[in-house]
Amino acid sequence: MTDFWDVYERSETGPFVKEADFDRQVGEAAAQAVKKNGLRFDRREVIPSDDDLADRMYQAGLDLFLELGIYCKDSSRRIKFSRGEVEWALKHAPASVTYGQGRDARTMRYRGVEDASPPFCANTSVGCTVAEERFVSMVQSYAREPLSDTFSSAFSQTVHGRPIKNGTPQEVEAAVWNVLKLREAAQAAGRPSIGIHNLISNAEKTDAILAAMQPELGVQPNDGLAVAAMAEMKVDYERLKKVVYLNHSRLNRYGLYGPIMGGYAGGPEATAVVHVAHHFLGLLAFGAQWHDGFPLHLMQGCNSTRDLLWLIAVTGQALARNTRLLIGVSPFTAAGPCTEMVVHEIAAVVLAATVSGLHLNLVAVARNKLPEHSSGMEARIGSETGHLVARQRLDRGQANEIVKKILAEYESRIPEAPQGKRFDACYDLATVRPTREYLDLYERCKEKLGRFGLDYSRL
Amino acid sequence: MNLMEQIIEATVAGDPQRCASLAQEAVRRGIDPLTAIEEGYSKGMAIVGEKFARMEYYLPELIRCADAMKAAMEVLRPHLDKGEKGGQGSIVLGTIQGDLHDLGKNIVRTMLEAAGFTVHDLGCNVPLRQFVDQAEERQADIIAASAILTTTMAYMPDLVSLVGETGPRGRFKVLLGGAPVTPEFAAKAGADGYGENAARGVDVAKSLVQARKEGK
Repeated sequence: MTDFWDVYERSETGPFVKEADFDRQVGEAAAQAVKKNGLRFDRREVIPSDDDLADRMYQAGLDLFLELGIYCKDSSRRIKFSRGEVEWALKHAPASVTYGQGRDARTMRYRGVEDASPPFCANTSVGCTVAEERFVSMVQSYAREPLSDTFSSAFSQTVHGRPIKNGTPQEVEAAVWNVLKLREAAQAAGRPSIGIHNLISNAEKTDAILAAMQPELGVQPNDGLAVAAMAEMKVDYERLKKVVYLNHSRLNRYGLYGPIMGGYAGGPEATAVVHVAHHFLGLLAFGAQWHDGFPLHLMQGCNSTRDLLWLIAVTGQALARNTRLLIGVSPFTAAGPCTEMVVHEIAAVVLAATVSGLHLNLVAVARNKLPEHSSGMEARIGSETGHLVARQRLDRGQANEIVKKILAEYESRIPEAPQGKRFDACYDLATVRPTREYLDLYERCKEKLGRFGLDYSRL
Repeated sequence: MNLMEQIIEATVAGDPQRCASLAQEAVRRGIDPLTAIEEGYSKGMAIVGEKFARMEYYLPELIRCADAMKAAMEVLRPHLDKGEKGGQGSIVLGTIQGDLHDLGKNIVRTMLEAAGFTVHDLGCNVPLRQFVDQAEERQADIIAASAILTTTMAYMPDLVSLVGETGPRGRFKVLLGGAPVTPEFAAKAGADGYGENAARGVDVAKSLVQARKEGK
């Protein structure tokens, strides 16, 4: 077994390697793993039903992790683990994680491939930038969704009228403000004790985050924080400081991994291998209770492309078949709110994820880039689709056929995807409810998706 | 296949040994090194850039091809006349203060170098003052900064201001990019250019250098 202090000591004593060399080694090792294990992306099988492929993907990811280890940017050293240490950590990984209190308590448990249990829906605008005066409304729109098991934050452009700058006193103030406003939004949504899976998304520095972790501000004992790896397979001491704090608190934690398809790893197969390996990083270095991936397309900034859908499906299956880890994915769409395309993209990613054993962290839209372009309605679309996939007990083959039909609706439009409407144009800010236009658009999309095979009458 | 075609082929194949030996062959034949670069290696890298933009090549291939071109440059550089080095212009580049995410910056660096720019990579988490000091010391044409976090993007307007506060604003062009940065944000920050992606960033850098030459 290893504990955090083994990780820290190895970050100080492990083999020295230049960062650029490590980046090259990621690509070389991933390419070799792809070749050795015969991993191949098949454009026709967006959601593969090939258990052997999933198992080979898992072995490739594990072998790559054992070969490369984790890179510590601060010490320029490699943190390596033995196979036995990884196996021990997997054997003793958490079987469940609970967020929220009382009637708002929700528990995430292991899901298998083609699991009939609904995915846990940790819903959030993924830090979408929003004006300070609309922050509470935007996050409330996620908290009030009945299928939101937890919620998290947008990113306020200012706090008390001042922009938030990394490493400044204002960052500390902003982190405190963020927690206060998230709990205020939960109360306004009529779910005062709903869990917040990531309390801070507007501060990076550990001092700012720690300043905000106070019960007096509205932090519940089993709210949580994300600890994010850096692309690819890297950590730094700022992240590891957060782990030390979490080790001494009762807060929950999850690992966050965003490998870039087309980046250091290479193509879809190689990036999939590296994505699997990131889960071992989170388990061993962060002590993550659950794991959330947001693999992204380098050029498109989303994961609704055909190759990314395949990557999400095959990595989910690889981990769900070979471990009991609690795993999830964050859909990222190219299109923005209140468009047919965003409904289709969300449905496609959720289908690929849910039948492959994943939970959901819903949802980043408009490439997570445009200010004010995010709303709880997208979380509703994703949560309902996820629950539906489980209730219908769709298998991978059925899901694959549906996804291919959905892809035909939007695939060619990804580079020029519609930006959609701003939050204040698709929600009534007084009632924090979606506009009739958005509800009608969703109903029309459901009719079409129904023809493709999603039976919304089961919701 | 003539020598230039062979150079283009070797560059696109990302073969450093062959690129270097073809550079030696060009020198042996008395071919102007600048011609070998512009008609051979740069054209090869332009093809590589197009393949990367279409995702036929990924970052490992892009790096390998850039390394192959560098191997040729090591051979050709001693034979270049003074003033012929880094013909496109000079850029100081880094991720802005507080930002540790450098994948995008590294892609831009590789593509700028391949396009003929002299790139001074200041790395990650570069203090604003260091951008300006280094640009002055290197007599750069452009300061290029990237951010992936909204909390670090907030430093970009300060960078543009600092350029103006420490001397004539027009002495450096400022080019901004990164995941959360939008054209609107870059314009509001007072930047001279915005790179939506690496390829676009190179195009904008070229136009900024041209504008500088024309005194704009």
